[in-house]
Amino acid sequence: MELADKAVGLLLTVISLSIFTYYTFWVIILPFVETDHFIHNYFLPQEYAILIPVFAGMALISLLCVFIGFVMLKSKKKKA
Amino acid sequence: MKHIVKILTLLVAIIAFWIGLLETSMLPRSYTWLLPIYFTISLGCYGLLMVGVGLIQFRTCPEEAVLLQKDVVEAKEFLKQRGVDVGSD
Repeated sequence: MELADKAVGLLLTVISLSIFTYYTFWVIILPFVETDHFIHNYFLPQEYAILIPVFAGMALISLLCVFIGFVMLKSKKKKA
Repeated sequence: MKHIVKILTLLVAIIAFWIGLLETSMLPRSYTWLLPIYFTISLGCYGLLMVGVGLIQFRTCPEEAVLLQKDVVEAKEFLKQRGVDVGSD
């Protein structure tokens, strides 16, 4: 159990660091590289740098709302 | 109180920097517009990182568990002597 918790923690750390590194490269450094450089092949076009986070945030907020709604429904049923 | 002042100062500095970038148009507009989203993503990554580090460093206290079990046994003994029913085991 303890080991599983540590593994999950390590996974979260690695995921967050890799997302941060990739996104920093994508948004901060890539504008200063020439457009015909080969490194541009490894990144999606710039529009996706806005689209993906916005959609991910929307999905997260919607899921949170659904979860909160379910919890509220359940607690109301228990009371009645 | 002091912490929130620090955070607000940082936020104002970032917003001022961003508006400055927008006004001077040193970089193309489309890149400057990405900056707030970049900061949001950084904040999310920071939160995730802190949760991960907290999970890794979370301490379980086996020695405290042993002490607690000892306390439970002692309390049960004490209550039994006074005639309080605490169940078997």
